[in-house]
Amino acid sequence: MRRLHAALAVLLAGSMLSLPGSALAQERTVKITGFGAKSGVVRVFGINSEAAMKAAAGEINSKGGITLGDGTKAKFAVDFLDDRCNAEEGISVVRRIASTDAFVAVGPTCSNVAESLFGILQKKVGDASDSGLQFPIIADVAAKGGLAKISEWAFRNVPSEFEMYKSLIAWVKKEHPDLKTMYGGVEKDFAHSNATYGVMKGQAEGAGLQVLGTSEWLLNDTTFSTQVRDMKRANADIVAISAHPFTTCGVLKEMARQGVKPKLLIGLTSSSSIETLQGCAKQAEGIIIPTSFAPVTPEAKLAAEQVAKFGGSADLHSAAAYEIMFILKDVIESQKIMAKPDTVQADRNKMRAGLAALKETKGLLGTVGRTADREAIKPYLYVHAKDGSWQVLHKPTL
Amino acid sequence: MDLLDLIDAVQSVADGVLFGATYSLLGIGFTLIFGVMHKINLSYAAASIGAAYASLLVMSVVQAPAVLAFVAAAAAGGVIGGLVYLVGFRFIPLANPLATLMSTVGLLLLIDEIIVHATDGVPLSYPALFSDVIVQVGPFGLRGDLMFVFALGCVCMVLLLLLLYRTRLGLATRAVSQQPTASLLCGISTTRVNVLTFVITGVVGGIAGAMTGAAIGMLSPLLSLPLTVKGLIVTVIGGLGSIPGAIIAGLIVGGLENAFQFFRGVSERDLYIMLLLFAFLVFRPGGIFAKSSGRD
Repeated sequence: MRRLHAALAVLLAGSMLSLPGSALAQERTVKITGFGAKSGVVRVFGINSEAAMKAAAGEINSKGGITLGDGTKAKFAVDFLDDRCNAEEGISVVRRIASTDAFVAVGPTCSNVAESLFGILQKKVGDASDSGLQFPIIADVAAKGGLAKISEWAFRNVPSEFEMYKSLIAWVKKEHPDLKTMYGGVEKDFAHSNATYGVMKGQAEGAGLQVLGTSEWLLNDTTFSTQVRDMKRANADIVAISAHPFTTCGVLKEMARQGVKPKLLIGLTSSSSIETLQGCAKQAEGIIIPTSFAPVTPEAKLAAEQVAKFGGSADLHSAAAYEIMFILKDVIESQKIMAKPDTVQADRNKMRAGLAALKETKGLLGTVGRTADREAIKPYLYVHAKDGSWQVLHKPTL
Repeated sequence: MDLLDLIDAVQSVADGVLFGATYSLLGIGFTLIFGVMHKINLSYAAASIGAAYASLLVMSVVQAPAVLAFVAAAAAGGVIGGLVYLVGFRFIPLANPLATLMSTVGLLLLIDEIIVHATDGVPLSYPALFSDVIVQVGPFGLRGDLMFVFALGCVCMVLLLLLLYRTRLGLATRAVSQQPTASLLCGISTTRVNVLTFVITGVVGGIAGAMTGAAIGMLSPLLSLPLTVKGLIVTVIGGLGSIPGAIIAGLIVGGLENAFQFFRGVSERDLYIMLLLFAFLVFRPGGIFAKSSGRD
């Protein structure tokens, strides 16, 4: 009997020793769920956002993690769900996230998803007659202007394309006063490209440039000869292309074939990525694009390195996801979020209030301002494609 | 319309006709499989693009001249074609037309998603031959790369017709297509003919995928769906099972697409192509070369 007791004691001690540290010390984990496109043709956006969120979480965790409302330390863990850039799936994914004890979600990739998704959130906080979802969401990629206005639970850390193109066109007018005319090209069936072209055109006209015409094509078009021929006939000083890398490259290659050489080429923010250079570095040479990310500061360089380690690429979209993780850390600590199953709705309210109260946040290129309608005012610069890479052309004084 | 407009319109149509050679090849693939098995293989265009991607993989490993991309795409297309038959047809009850149709829809999505996962959906540059060559014919300029694509398409079509009408395999294929039971009684293995049909159409599809990549200068998973639609339209307009019909229909669709683009713009272009499809389905369901009595 004594031997049996001794054996049991040894077994018990052994099992206690073999328990992972977490069971004894109970280090807490706060899971942040991101969502976006991880399948389909915009998969790369989801891959980059996930990598950026994980890289930022790794950075935060390596520096001690986050302090929760009860004073305990916790580490970030990142989960990322696929919405396939589809509005219905995006809504379904967020409902699934909201059914857990998550107090915030980061996403989505596509503006069409954000537009529908923000519509299911409660419009005004505290409106008892509105049964919309009371769950804070902060977008990293969806770039169409003004989306956060849809709900007081919606936030964005995306650059203002209106401000960026306004500034870029003004700079072009100042630096190249001899350029008088512009011709546009737009991917007509993609919300972001279409909306941004409206901004480009409006700003150009406002700055006194004569817009000679616009060529249109679709996201999955295979020939651009007719559109580029119109462009050639217009013979404008500036050509502005508002399209994503696949058709941007298709059009640039067709322009090269037809010998269309404008004095200045302007591109869409989303095209200032590695995909454009992989597809058509030679033809894209010289294209100028405003962007809210380039590895020009120590923080941005570190972020780019860390994101690459997680299998992603840092660009203006994924950099926003990286910054969001630090924003969430600050809000969790300032709002004393508990991150416990019994404080879920209270934590969501605190997170929303904390995000809404932000006047500025730390960004990779400098301080990011926050507007009353929950949008970001991000620092930006102009890059141009040169020798097969994106290089900084000009950093405007904001 | 002034003279410049007229020149541009003709030029657009000419470009479209040259690019239409890729549609013709895709249409041939669809129509050949339908002719032999009386099945529509909806994964055909996706498999063709998959083959073109595979050729890029080969080119990244082997430093070879750009023309070898077409050879690699053809070889990869043949392999993928065989696999498509194995997965989507071999073990599916052929008597149920819906079963094979759905299996090819599944394969379309599967191939597309494999490409997306392998490339993260990032468009990749595809080598083009003669892309710097422009042949001036009066006021018109004919793109060297499109002319090469067109010529290659024509060579493929001639070779395919020779294969079908001048070889024993072609004879067996036509026999299975026309009288499957009788050909079985004559000792022809329908399974073997079916496999070979998929491999041959896969080879043609691989070349079509490479031609598409070369003509655009890029490859993207975005291409699968529009090319599937174009291939089906060409097959219907050309007449299900008619190779000469598919050839002519491909060129017509390519030319009309650019003509509608020129005159009516991008937002209406596809509308007219679809109307053309419906017009054929209603008034000439047997396709271009069908006798007018073919309806009902």
